[in-house]
This record gives sequence, structure tokens and C-alpha cells, in this order.
Amino acid sequence: MKGRWAGRALLGVPTVFLLALFVLPLLSMVVLSFWRTENYHIVQDWNLGNYITLATGGAYVTFLIRSLVMAGVVSLVCILIAWPVSYAIILYGGRYRLLLTLAFAVPFLTGEVLRVIALQGLLGPVGLINAVLMALGSAPLRFIMYTNVASAIGLVYLYLPIVVTVIYLSLLNFDARLIDAAKIFGASPLRAFVEVTWPLNLFGTLIGFVLCFIPCLSATLVPRFLGGANGTLYGMAMAQQFGESGTWALGAAMGVVLFLTSIIAVLLVGMRVDLRRTGFTGFGRG
Amino acid sequence: MRGTLTRRLGTYTLLATLILSYLFLYLPILHIGLGSFARNHTFPYPPRWTLDTFGRLFGNSLYQTAFFNSLVLGIGAAALATVLAAAATLGLMRHAGRRAGLYLALFIAPLFVAEVLVGIASLIFNGLLLQLQGNLVSAILANAVHCFSYALLIMATQLYRYDWRLDDAAMVFGASPLRTFFEVTLPLIWPGLLGAFVVTFIMAFNNLEISFYLLGATPTLPSVAWGALRYGVKPELYALATAVNLVVILGLGVMFVLMLTGKARFGHRPERARAV
Repeated sequence: MKGRWAGRALLGVPTVFLLALFVLPLLSMVVLSFWRTENYHIVQDWNLGNYITLATGGAYVTFLIRSLVMAGVVSLVCILIAWPVSYAIILYGGRYRLLLTLAFAVPFLTGEVLRVIALQGLLGPVGLINAVLMALGSAPLRFIMYTNVASAIGLVYLYLPIVVTVIYLSLLNFDARLIDAAKIFGASPLRAFVEVTWPLNLFGTLIGFVLCFIPCLSATLVPRFLGGANGTLYGMAMAQQFGESGTWALGAAMGVVLFLTSIIAVLLVGMRVDLRRTGFTGFGRG
Repeated sequence: MRGTLTRRLGTYTLLATLILSYLFLYLPILHIGLGSFARNHTFPYPPRWTLDTFGRLFGNSLYQTAFFNSLVLGIGAAALATVLAAAATLGLMRHAGRRAGLYLALFIAPLFVAEVLVGIASLIFNGLLLQLQGNLVSAILANAVHCFSYALLIMATQLYRYDWRLDDAAMVFGASPLRTFFEVTLPLIWPGLLGAFVVTFIMAFNNLEISFYLLGATPTLPSVAWGALRYGVKPELYALATAVNLVVILGLGVMFVLMLTGKARFGHRPERARAV
């Protein structure tokens, strides 16, 4: 009897917390997206004007497509880098594995603004790379600052650590004896990788993809400080609705679009996964 | 012969990627670290050493207020998130039964919603519906939402091997649930709690994308840095970034020493050392 009461409290309090501070705000964003803003005031009449603006205003569609491409490319690059990195840590890390992974997490833990500042020190017009190039007598690279390439480098820099951590955890919980088994039965290393290692770690890889894709899709800081005139991304345009232009209702509609886009992306990725094929056995309550 | 050659090539490629990635991550940090200690801060090779930048940073009263606010925000959000996540993890593992999947989906949902959306949605909810001005409390609450999911994940990875029979044993011998928790469960799970607290503290301390919309006029370190960044990078910002980096590295160093001396394991399980 007592245990049941405790269980209800343990699960109920966090549930109420999330409903009040996470679900309700998101719902109020949806409601606001159907109202409109006039001279910095919210007018409560229900209409679809914001969505019509977003669908027909060419700039917003361009921003969304650019954001989707950017987030997709950045996530793929992150996974392409993170796989060999986490594999190398697992294979050669020995007892220092955890330290090596934590060393990857240090930049992740120092905050987005400060990392953008560090990146400007590296990529900026008078930053490390260009200063070295000019000291060597060559021309500075123009494409690595205030362009979409710079934004992409910045986003990879920001989200590589989390992708590495996720794939590392996936590989850590993967039973390597399965590879040995495959090899004993005559599989080449490549085939063992393609048929055993990769599918069994696909779930972790996709989680890494999603955890990189979603924040990239709504990046606000990186395009603002590293991207150039053609580098406006959707999240940045959305943030501006709440700042300079004061059109909250339109911003809320953009938030809804962004939210739905993320959900669709997650579902599209999730549908490709056959959980049982990835060795998923439940929520770890064994 | 060819086999060993390809294998060695594979090894080198792996290690090269590893080293290059570390370089990519640490080069900017080292660069601005050197820059913040040097008079010639844009290209400190070789550096002309000075501590003036740090003097100016620590002497600046705006940065002092901002630091204090960030500290309050970080501790508040991390404490709230850790306690709630601990309750949620215990509840999920012990009491959820068949509805575990449903609860889990709700609890980790904030991971799949971008931070900036949490910030904007909370701004709309507080500002429009509740008519509340942004302040430190609203920022703490909104940050706790995001931190909660991370704390839950960290604790779940720590606790999923926890042996609940220990609790049952204590109860069988007549301990109350509360006493069982404080004398059996808590001493065994505290590294997970501490890990979750440390990570979520660092996240909330550094957060801008959520806090920005909820702070009102309260300055925190990231928001002050953001404001300064709009007017170009100043050496003070380099010094600020370096100071935060040093503190984080120090924190992880303490964690590492604790692990090395066997005081805490932070989820490291020696018996799994030979996986892969």
C-alpha cells in the first residue's frame, strides 16, 4: 500500500513538472501562432495569417530549406567523424577510455557563447588560421568566415562532442565477441562490420544523428556570428521575431513549424530502425 | 602480408582521425587561452605575458553580478533537475510497470525539442498567459526542464544495474521505505546523482538559448558575453572563456582523481572492460 503511494509520488511529481513547464508552454506557443501581432501587441483573433506568410514569403521557405540542408550535412559529417573517433577510443583507449571521452566532452560543457567566441578566434578574419596563412605569405581564406561553410564548421564544432559520446556509449555496450564469432565463421572484417557492428549500433548512431540534427535545425547563435549575409537560418530568423521585430505571433508560428519539422525528421529516422534488429531489448530494466 | 598492411593502415587512419578531432576541438580553446594571457591577444605567438585582461575581467562589476546570477541559476536548475530526475528514475524502474514506455517518452521528450523552442515557448506562456515578467526564477524553471532529461539519462545509465534486492532485504528486516532510501539506496546511487548534478549545473550555468528569453533584465555570464560579442570580440571575452574552461577542466580533474582513488566510479564498470 505504502509502496504504491510512493510510486505515484515518484512518477507523479516529475510528470506534473513536465506538463506544467514543458507541455503547457508548447501548447501556448501553438495557440499564439494562430493569433496575430499588431504594433507590438497581441491581438486575439483566430486566423491562419502567420502560416500563410510563412508559406508564401519566399525568404522563410529559403531559410527552412537552408536550415534542413545545413542540419543534415552537419549531422552526417559529425557521424562520419564520430564513428572512427569512438571506435579508436574503444579499441586503443584501454583504461583511459573514460578520460578520453570526457576530454571530448570538455568543450561541450563550456557553453555555446564561449565556444563561438573561441571559434571566432580560430576562423576570424584575424584569427589563427588566417594569421598563420598570412605569416606564411599566402592569401587569407575567405570562405571560412562569414559564410555558410563557417556556420557548418561552427555547428560541427558545437555538436561533435555529443555525437561522439552517444556513439561511444553505444559501442561500449556492444558485445565485441559477436565480431569474433562472425570472423570465426569466415566473415571478412568488412563484412563483419557491415553485417554485425554497424546494424547493432545503428540505434545509437541514429540517436546521435537526432541529437545533433535538432539543435542544428534551430541554431541561432552560430549563423548570427559565423554565417554571413546569405547565412540566415530558420532558428535565427525565429529568434529575431522575439527580439528586434517584436512579431511574436509570427515567431510562434515559426516555432511550430520548427517543432513539427523536428518531429517529422525524428519519425522518418525512427521508421528506418527495426528495433529488434539493433539488439534492443527493452528499457534496461533487466 | 596484405592483411597486416590493411590492418595497420586502418589503425593509423583511426588514430589520425582521433588526434585530428582532438586538435580541432582544442585548438580554438588553446588559442584563446594563450590570447587571454598575452598582451598581443589576436596572435599570441610568441605571447607577451600579462594578467591585465583577467584583472579587468574580475574587476568589472557587471561580470561579477553576472557570475553570481549564473551561479544561482546553475545551482537552482541543477538541484531541481537532479532531484526530479532521481525521483523519475526510481519511479520508472520500480513502480511504472507496463506504463514505463509512456512515462519514459514524456521524460525524455525535452531532449527532442530544441533549447530555443523551450525558451520561446516558456516566454510566451509566462509573458502572455501568466503575465509574469522574466526573472531568475523563471529561467531556473525553464532550464530545469531541459536539464531534467539529461539528468534522467545520466542516472538511468548508472542505475540500470542497481540491485533492488538490497532494498527488499532492508525492508524485510523492518526498515521503513524512507530509512531504506537514506541508508541503502542513496549511499549506493550518490555518484550518479553527483554526476547528474555536475553536468546539469554546467549546462544551466552556460545556457543562453533558454535563459535569454526568460531572464528579463537579469544579467548572466552567457548573456553578458553575448551582448559584448555583438560589438566585436574583446580580450575580456577570451579571458572569460578561458576562466570557464579552466573551471570545467578542474571539475573533471576532480572527478578523475575521485575515480582513480576509488572513491567513486561514475558508472565505470571494470567487469565490462573487455567489450570490443
